[in-house]
Order: sequence, then C-alpha cells, then structure tokens
Amino acid sequence: MREGRVLSYTRSMIRKNAVENAVPVSLFFTCLADTFAPGVAFSAVTVLERFGARVEVPLSQTCCGQPAAGSGNFREARRMAAKLLAVFDGEGYIVSPSGSCAATVRHVYPVLFRDEPRMLARARAVGERVYELSRFLVDVLGVTDPGSAFAGKVTYHDSCRLLQGPGAGSAPRALLRAIPGVELVEMDESDRCCGFDAAFAVRHPHVSAAMAERTLERILETGAQFVASADLGCLFTIGGLISRSGHPVKAVHLAEVLAGPAEAAP
Amino acid sequence: MTDPRPHAFSRSAESALADPDLQAALSCAIPRLLERRRAAVAADPGFEEARDAASRIKAEVLDDLDLHLERFIAEAGKRGAKIHAARDGAQARDIAAGIAREEGITLAVKGKSTVAGEIGLNPALEAAGVSVVESDLGEYIVRLAGENPSHIVASAVHKTREQVARLFNVVLGEPYTEEIPALVGIARRRLREKFFAAGMGITGANFLCADTGSVAIVTNGGNGRIAATLPRVHLVIASIDKVIPRLADLPLFLRLLARSATGQPLSSYVSVLTGPRRPGDAEGPEKLHIVLVDNGRSAILQGKYRDILACIRCGACLNVCPVYRSIGGHAYGWVYPGPMGSVLSPLLLGLPDAAPLPDASTLCGACAEVCPVRIPLPDMLLALRSDARAQGLRTPGEVLGSKLYAGAMARAGVLEALQRIAGIVSQLLWRNKAIGWLPWPFSGWTARRDFPAPAPQPFRRLWKKQRGIGPWNR
Repeated sequence: MREGRVLSYTRSMIRKNAVENAVPVSLFFTCLADTFAPGVAFSAVTVLERFGARVEVPLSQTCCGQPAAGSGNFREARRMAAKLLAVFDGEGYIVSPSGSCAATVRHVYPVLFRDEPRMLARARAVGERVYELSRFLVDVLGVTDPGSAFAGKVTYHDSCRLLQGPGAGSAPRALLRAIPGVELVEMDESDRCCGFDAAFAVRHPHVSAAMAERTLERILETGAQFVASADLGCLFTIGGLISRSGHPVKAVHLAEVLAGPAEAAP
Repeated sequence: MTDPRPHAFSRSAESALADPDLQAALSCAIPRLLERRRAAVAADPGFEEARDAASRIKAEVLDDLDLHLERFIAEAGKRGAKIHAARDGAQARDIAAGIAREEGITLAVKGKSTVAGEIGLNPALEAAGVSVVESDLGEYIVRLAGENPSHIVASAVHKTREQVARLFNVVLGEPYTEEIPALVGIARRRLREKFFAAGMGITGANFLCADTGSVAIVTNGGNGRIAATLPRVHLVIASIDKVIPRLADLPLFLRLLARSATGQPLSSYVSVLTGPRRPGDAEGPEKLHIVLVDNGRSAILQGKYRDILACIRCGACLNVCPVYRSIGGHAYGWVYPGPMGSVLSPLLLGLPDAAPLPDASTLCGACAEVCPVRIPLPDMLLALRSDARAQGLRTPGEVLGSKLYAGAMARAGVLEALQRIAGIVSQLLWRNKAIGWLPWPFSGWTARRDFPAPAPQPFRRLWKKQRGIGPWNR
C-alpha cells in the first residue's frame, strides 16, 4: 500500500514536470490500432504522457499507405503519403506505436517521391521526426524505466521492418527488462519474419501461415505467458494462430506492456 | 534445365509446404548454414569493412564493365585462352556445342554452374552427342533424381540424407547406406572413372580477374579443380558480371564468399586458372575455352537494377529468407531462387514471365542484412512490384481494390464511417471475438488463422469522446 502511494506520488511529480517541460508529440496512431485495437493507441498516449510528452492527436490522419506502397501500387501510395505529410506538417516529434508504419514514412516515402524534389524534401523532413514508440522513449526521452505495473513472463518478437536501422531491437528489450514485474525470456530467431505483410498474407496465405506457425513454435518453446511486439500486423498473425489453436499464450502490443495492465484495454 | 515456370509460384509453394521430406531437409540444413555463417562473420572483425570494400569494387566494375571485360579478354587471350562472346543463351549453346564437335568430345564432366543452367547447356550438349556428367555432389544427386537444383550453392539442399541413400540404392544399385562419408565415397568412385575418360571439363567461374585473365573457381569437393585440369579441354561458362578488376581483389571476394555461403574462412579448393597448359607445365588442359555470356545483362546494366549484377552467388540471402526457408528453391521455378532470384529472374526472363517472384517476399529486410556486397534487394523487389503495376501486370481486381482502399483512406470522415459500420457488423456477427471465416480474397488467411474483429468504436471516436477536440487535437 505504502509502495503504491510512493509510486503515485512519483507519478504526480513526473506529471507536474511534464506540464512544465512538455515535449510536444504528435501521435501517429496507425489505421490498424485505430480500427482494431484502440487500446494500443491509448496505451501509447499513457506512456508518452507519463514521461512528460504533450500528446497531440491529429484526427485527420488515416493510413500511411503501407499496403499500397508495399504491393507496388505507388500511385495510390503517393496520394496517401501526401495526405500524411500534410497532416503531420510542422514541427515536433511524431511517434507511432508501430515500427513498420514509422519505417514506411522514414524509408519508403523517399522511394515514392524519388522523382519529385519538392515532395521528397517534405518526406525527408517529416521522416526525420517519426519515431517508433520504444525508440522514442529510449533514444529521445532517455527513459530507462517505463514505470509499468505489467507483470508476467514475456517474450519479444522483433517486427522485421522495425529491425531496419542499427540497434532497433535494443530499445524494446531495454524497456521490458526495466519493468519489475516482467521476466523477459528470449525466443529463438526472434527476428525471423512471422509472415505478416498485408499483400503477402493475401497472395500467399499458406506460406504466410507456415511462417507464422514457425514463429509461434519458437514462442511456445520459451514458456512465456505473453508475446509482445511493436507491430500490430505481427500480433494479428501470431494472435490469430493462438486464438485458433487455443495455446496458453497471449499476444500483446509493446505499448500495452509499457503502459501497464490498467490502461491496456479501455 | 526445364523451361522456366515462375508463374506457378503460388501452387508450387503450396505443394512445397505439404512435402514432409522437403520440410525435413530444409529445417535440418538451412539452420546449420546460417549458424556457420553467423559464427564465421563474428570471427572476422573486419567483415563489415570488407563488405563495403567489395561493394565499392563491384560498383567500379559495373561503372565500366566493357573496359574490364576488354581487359580480361585481352589478358586471357595473351595467355592462350580462346574467348567466345555469347549475346544470348542460344548463341552460348551453339558455341559450346561447336567446341565439343570441333574437339571431338563425347564425354564431359561438369562442375556446378548456375549460368549453364540458365542457358540450358546440358540438353544442348546432349543433343550434340556429348554426355555430360555432373561432378559437384549436389548436382550429381539432383541429376540422379531427375530434378533441378534448388539452391545456387547447395544444389541438393532440398533432399534428406535418407532420400539420397534411397536414390543411390535404387538408381545406382549400391548397397543401402545413410552414412554420409559412404555416400560421398560412392559418388567419388563413380565420378573418378568419368574424370579419367572425359575429353572435356566444364566449369563455371566464380570470378574473372581482368588484369591477369585468370578464372577463379572455388569448390568444396575439389571437383572443379579436377574438371578444370584433368581433361584435355577446359570449357568455362561465365556470365559477364563475374569480372573483377584485379587478381589482388580476389582474396577479399573469397573471404566474403566462403563466409557468406558456408561459414568457412576459405572454401576447401580455390583454383586460379590462367591460360591452358604451357610447355613444361606438369598438368592442365591443352585447350582453354571461355564463353562469356551476356544473355540480357548489358540491358540490366543500363537500368535501375544494375546493382543486382554485383551478386557473387553466395546464397546467403536464400538461407536467411524466411520465405525460401519455408518452401525451398523449386517453387521459384527457375535456376535463381530466393531474394536474389526474385530480382534477377524477372530481369532475365522479362517481368511478365516471372511476375509472381517479386511478390514472393515480405520485404522483411533479412536478405539485405546479410548480402556481402550490400545489394539493396528489398528496394529492388519493391521497385519491380511498382513496374508490374506500371506495365499492367496486376489483375483489374487488384488495381480496383487498391483504388478503393486509397479512396476510403482519403478522408478521415469516410474512414470513420466505414470503421463504425465494421464495428456494428462485427458486434452483430462475431460479438467482437476473433473472426474465423472471411470471404475471398481473405479466405486464405482465415483457413489457418483467426482475424481480429474490428473494435466496436475506433480509437479516433473514443479519443474525441474522452478528450474532446481541444487546441491540441485538431
């Protein structure tokens, strides 16, 4: 009880600091979290506010265009990219609870606008401001302890797009390890793609499912209660297998673990 | 090599998933190759710098490929090699058959050469009355089974030890054994007779060194060296992208190739062959013919996919690719499987004839991470997908789907309306539990996995309710 009070006092101090030195952050909540898992977006807000961010949520955002871009439908992808660039025009950090959506803006937009210098410059300017949540917490805010009350044995699946860029897998792990109630157990081949890619999963569902099954095997080997990932796509495919097979493991988003169970599902 | 059939990728992949022998072979061999590579790279502190250096040298070659080739041709010619230039596969086949006829060859032993598979060399030589014996163990096994190689380095990686044992037992009539040394011994004994009888040895080339006109061949069985030195005639089939500027660059490439391919510091046999046997030489062929095959490569050189010509055929991108690891190489339908094949095959065959290949990837980026010459394979796969759309190779349904999706996402209001409809439907039909059945084209997903139900209300609506629309929340 006493510990709880200390914790809540610390939190209120953090919040007080937060208002004074608020870092403005625009939440790029992603269409998947928006449509299928609002709790993930709320969790991201919870964690960001816990560490003093002033979270702005531009509600005119829709989708970054990753499914179109990834399947080579560049015309539609460019339209959607232009929209996102307009929505997030300006200054300050843009944070997303998704490694692959952040990577789309950072790495794929410049490809889409290769031949349009003006749009390319805008894409680069916005791309530099976009961060995946855990990397933002660690690299920008310098968070070492996420202050989460989440408890359980957790294994971490690296979403492959998140891996693009040096040391991408280290931020989520550092944060998970710092949670007192979390026991992080590493799965074998945590960075092997689980087979989720919107277009690939539709075109080659059997290959995609086989890849996911391999990932699930590796997860089950750890005996973890939870598998966490920074991408909802991975969690859809892994979670879809889990719910079909009834295995005793739960797919959770990294943001939900970082936020703690109370805020996990509104 | 049979006709290319990458268009059957989807069906072939499905049967590959259902083949227990293939699955057993892949899950035994590939992790071993990966682990060996990982250990070899970890043991080489300068590996990343070596990749940078190799990638720079390859760029230097591709900037002036014609000059480097001219140099190679001149230097190799000076040292007594006969050089033939083949514009395409047909010309290369004619040249090879012509050489065999001229030299009166009836039996040839051959080392592993993927470009020979690309141009269909074996059937052409067989038609010209030459029997061709594969001397690479993997190729030998694959040939016995009447199959094609499924890997650019380990041709028979798709076969289990038991399958090979049965093959040697049934086809060769050897006593059944699953002992690998015994199986290797059988192949060695049978090949030895052929090596002594063959009038011609055929090999590929791992590298062509421009400044000395040398052909570098690496093998682990030593068969490449025997094929290159024992028979009277040595025929080298090499694609034009194999050239490197200097013999002095060779150690760098050998280091990268061996570590990336098999996790060895160096391949067991490295042969650097410069010209045929000179007077006084103890060994070597009397004649050395080198066929340089273009077959579409100078066209690739002019375009945005130029860097695929830097590929040194180590196979690391195959081994690490989660798609290749799931289905093996045959599903890709031609001699070049995996990520490098999914880029190269459409460029060599034409995108319409290999359209499914660039889509045979989740763009996870694992291939780019291991490529020893840093070819941006995922970027190229993505660009090829964009070409497919631009060339009208997508189905009207898919194009329409993409347009509808972009239309729905153009306005947040439209998206929210759709989300609310989806939320209501989901509550009515599935009570917000995981969805177990979806109609085509999503039926494939729900065949083996559930799909998450849309939330009753989307985040954007919940957020508006919770926080209102303040100055921060436009």
